[in-house]
Formats: sequence, structure tokens, C-alpha cells
Amino acid sequence: MSKIHHDRTHHAKKATNIGDPQCFKGEAGAPKFKVGDRVRVKDLPDLFYTRTQTYPRGVVGTVTVLVYESPAPEDEAWDNTDKSEWFYSVKFRQKDIWPDYHDLYANDTLETELSERWLEKA
Amino acid sequence: MSSSTRERVLRHINTVGLLQPALHQATHAPYPDTIDHTLYRAYTRGVHDVGGEPDVPIQWEEKEEEQWELNTFATCECLAWRGVWNAEERRRRQNVDVGQTVYLGLPYYGRWLLTAARILVDKQYVTLTELVNKIEEVKKRHEQNSSR
Repeated sequence: MSKIHHDRTHHAKKATNIGDPQCFKGEAGAPKFKVGDRVRVKDLPDLFYTRTQTYPRGVVGTVTVLVYESPAPEDEAWDNTDKSEWFYSVKFRQKDIWPDYHDLYANDTLETELSERWLEKA
Repeated sequence: MSSSTRERVLRHINTVGLLQPALHQATHAPYPDTIDHTLYRAYTRGVHDVGGEPDVPIQWEEKEEEQWELNTFATCECLAWRGVWNAEERRRRQNVDVGQTVYLGLPYYGRWLLTAARILVDKQYVTLTELVNKIEEVKKRHEQNSSR
């Protein structure tokens, strides 16, 4: 159901000459995590839409960058852009993600972006 | 109705049978107690989340964009500039809402194009009647000018 009196140009008006996600800067409030924090990916319900992959859920990683503020994909995918949250780049050990990862490559890492709702302090 | 129409219809019905998602057990309208949590989760997941799924290796190939693919991309960008959708809604519709069979079965820009048509109907910029009439008109025109 469309929002009543929804202005379909609202995003263009907001992002023109600024860019997306830069246009959401300052909207997410204080970030819950900082660079170097150990975080675990939550296994939230992923009904209908998310961009948080299943494979890193339950795995502990390290925050490397606070990348930007933006509405979460779960909301933005239905054009709900009223609430922004922090996105974090989190680095995991490949060995912690894949059960059969060989010890020979124990230093391999994988880094991916996750929104704040998906992370908890480890 | 010409016999070539019936041939086309029957060929379609037989082809659909080949596109069933590959869960190797009978799945037609199962009783609720046959869907456990694991199966429920598998059925309701976003089908674009393929990371870690067991699969066979595929050959990596470089492919240049074709003209219709570039046109499709430009159309979808215009829809975004005019506020019909944002990039995330586009991705949801073309990567998840289409379902697993279409996600894996159609070419990449085929999903873009199908989704562009779908959003115009869903958000009532065109009616499905208008779209179908236009497709039929273009098809007829094309048939007259083409040997296929």
C-alpha cells in the first residue's frame, strides 16, 4: 500500500548534488560500535528481503570501518527511508565461516558490510 | 484458434513441468506438518543469498553488453531518477521477488527488463491491459517484418 500523499521525488530532492548515502549523514545518531570492536552477526528473521548473507551469521568478526549511515535495505526496499542506521565493515576469518577451510590458509579473511541491527557485542 | 496456438500452449505446459524447484521429493500442496523449520526457512529465504550453497564449478566468461541490455539499464535508471523506485527496491524485485526458478533461469538483464515492466504495472503507471495490448501490437508488427 502506498503512503498517503507519498512524493515519489522525495529521494531525488534529498540526494541531488549530495549523493546517496551521503544524504543520510547525521541521521543515525551515535554509533553503537567503534573500530576494533568484536561483534557477532545476529541470525534475525530474513523474511521477504535482506542483504545480510546467511553464511556469516553467528560468526564473530572485527569492525574495521564505520562506512556510512543509510536506511537499512529491509526498509529501503519498500521506499521507507525515514530511519537511518550505521553500517559497519566487519572482517571475519575465513576459517570461522567455512567449516572445511584449510589450516594452510588460516590467515585468510573476508570483509563485508552489515547494518547495525544485525550486530551484537561479542 | 489456430493449431499453432495449441502447439505453443502444450509446449509451454510441458516446459513448466521441467522448471519445478529441485527439491527431490513430491511437493504439491504439502500438509502443514510436513514443512519443518528447516524447510520453511529454505522456502522463505531470499533466493539471491547463494553464498556457501553447494554447487558445481561454472566456466567464467567475459560477455559484452548487447544493445537491448544497455537500453534496459538506461530505462531502469530513468525510472529511478523519476522516483518510480530506488536501487534497493529494484534489487528486491529483480533478485528476490522473482523467485528461485526465474532468478536462476533468466538472463541477468532479462530480469531487469521484466522487473521494469512489473513496477510500472504494480504502481499503476500503466495498466496490465495497456501493456499486454502494446506487446501484442509490437509482436504483430515484428512478425510482418521478420522472417522468424
